[in-house]
Amino acid sequence: MTLRVLVVEDDREIRTFMQSALAVEGFDVLTAVSLSEAGAILRYDSPDLVLLDLGLPDGDGADLVHELRQRSNLPVIVVSARDQEAQKIRLLDAGADDYLTKPFSIGELLARLRVALRHRGTALEPAVTLHELDDLRIDLAARMVLRDGEPVHLTPTEFKLLARLVRSAGRVVTHRQLLADVWGEAFSGHTHYLRLYMGQLRAKIERDPAEPRHLLTDVGVGYRLAAV
Amino acid sequence: MILDLYPVRWALVLLLLAAATAFGLLIDSYVSLTSQAMLYVLVVEIVSYRLGRLEAAVCAVGAVAALNFFFVPPRWTFAVDQREHLIALVVMLFVAFMTSRLAAGLQREARAARLSEGRARQLQELAMRLSAAAAMHEVRTIGQAALQAAFGTGAILTFADEGNSVPEAAQGICLPLGEQGRVFGMAVIPAAAAQEQEGLEHGRTLAALLAQALWRLELDEAVLAARSEAQRHELLNTFLASISHDLRTPLATILGASSSLQTQRDRLSPELQSRMLGSIATEARYLTVLTENTLQLARLSDPVVELHRDWESVEEIVGAVLARVRPQDSGRRIRSVIPAGLPLLRVDPVLLGQLLVNLLDNALKYAEGSIEIQALYGPGRIDLCVSDCGPGIPVALRESVFRPYSRSDRSGQRGAGLGLAVCRAIAMAHGGILVVEGREGGGCRFRLSLPVELQQPLEESS
Repeated sequence: MTLRVLVVEDDREIRTFMQSALAVEGFDVLTAVSLSEAGAILRYDSPDLVLLDLGLPDGDGADLVHELRQRSNLPVIVVSARDQEAQKIRLLDAGADDYLTKPFSIGELLARLRVALRHRGTALEPAVTLHELDDLRIDLAARMVLRDGEPVHLTPTEFKLLARLVRSAGRVVTHRQLLADVWGEAFSGHTHYLRLYMGQLRAKIERDPAEPRHLLTDVGVGYRLAAV
Repeated sequence: MILDLYPVRWALVLLLLAAATAFGLLIDSYVSLTSQAMLYVLVVEIVSYRLGRLEAAVCAVGAVAALNFFFVPPRWTFAVDQREHLIALVVMLFVAFMTSRLAAGLQREARAARLSEGRARQLQELAMRLSAAAAMHEVRTIGQAALQAAFGTGAILTFADEGNSVPEAAQGICLPLGEQGRVFGMAVIPAAAAQEQEGLEHGRTLAALLAQALWRLELDEAVLAARSEAQRHELLNTFLASISHDLRTPLATILGASSSLQTQRDRLSPELQSRMLGSIATEARYLTVLTENTLQLARLSDPVVELHRDWESVEEIVGAVLARVRPQDSGRRIRSVIPAGLPLLRVDPVLLGQLLVNLLDNALKYAEGSIEIQALYGPGRIDLCVSDCGPGIPVALRESVFRPYSRSDRSGQRGAGLGLAVCRAIAMAHGGILVVEGREGGGCRFRLSLPVELQQPLEESS
């Protein structure tokens, strides 16, 4: 069965280019030029993923994401320009899955798409509990972290932080989400906790903490556990 | 002071005369008339020294009369029957007058000296405070306070641009606040204070000082406005000049290659086709960077630029920057040296990242050989250095590379012409310094010094 992608984008050139590039990759592509059109399509159709452009003529995409999250866990990837940082983070916090910064290459688009689709339905299926990449193996069920086959000792907070990233492996997790899930809602402004604990985690897990392979930083947005 | 009250002054005169008379009568049988006269001289001296000239004169007359009445024979009458005594009386009256005049003059001079010393000190303080004033309204407040300190609450400062003329209640002498033919307003000082020549002079000096300060500020503003206007003009010119080159060239490449692919694709070899596609992508990427830098520079030139500061780790930002530039660094020329345990910085991570990406991009573009990004922790600051082994930058050009669109065509490669200007603007927005230095063994080192906040965020205790 072909996967269906809804592209919400008001610029005709970009919309056309995304449509043809995704069609070549075997996706079935729906398009919308505004939030209201996207809303209408989502009511009668059920795509497998949404690519949502920021700065649409008829309003803020956050409303659409809120509405979507109330009834489904359909993956949403936000497409933003570099000066739309704050809006992008708001959408991620509202439940969007990941983001792409304009201008992007088709390679980046497909990579983000694949990660988002892999996580599709994680709420229904058993959650991801095992993560393996290169020299790193994390088994959440066994509370075990191995580097080059050697066990790595983590403090409870470090493990909680790592586990949260494993559950969204490959996708960005915003500062706010990490702080709320690991320390609690009251700590969502304490980004310095993240700096300190991520530093400690990198020192234990990474070969070169200054140029990490696994624990990647999305500057100003959040963190991402590398999946590929 | 109690001596300022008239009844007290006259009572004192009477009291002293009465005391001298009583004491003279008390010692009448033991001493001669000369000693008794001396008692009165003493009283006249005291009165003329402590009180006014009028009191001294009245006191002298009273003293002579009392001496005549109580002690000079024939006693208990005002008659003077010996010529000798008459001369003594006249001389004493004369001495009393002289002393009172001298003492009063001395006192007046001392008071004047004190007053003028106070005024000189006030002028000095005012000049100092005015030179530190950075805004018109500050000068006004300082001036008003100084004027009232010198001449009491009746003194008023009014300004031409306030629209209102001298308030109805204001009575006194108006002194214009003028400098170089420009009148800013006026100072009104009470008429009583202006009667005295020195007071009027002091008022004029105050007014002149204020006018000078206002003039200086007005001039500063004008110079600043002219300079920023000139800068804006220069920037616009260089921007237009740069558009003709930096934007047109890549656009020509993109348009040429894409139109060629559109119309001649059948006749082009696959290698040529992919080379053209490659150059379209390269030029588009270049335009992206240029647009990014232009927008960032425009944003940062706003005097109230809004930074999204947060507590950030140097290691993390450098890591993210390396991830961004590695695709252009196929030979892995960049090496990072970041010590563990650096304090957190309170910075805008996106901007700081862009600064470092620009510096590394430049090093990759202009220099051969290894490149190093290094963090150094010193007292109160962290230095981030990007060093290369390239041709270096001549000392004379080291400042000008940070100016927008000043590209040194060091290797014939096209530069963004804006990258370093953006870097400098980002450094300054963070209260940091960005300079370029020569490097021992050739090449150059860009050094960014960022202040470390003393108050680091608290660590979680659990």
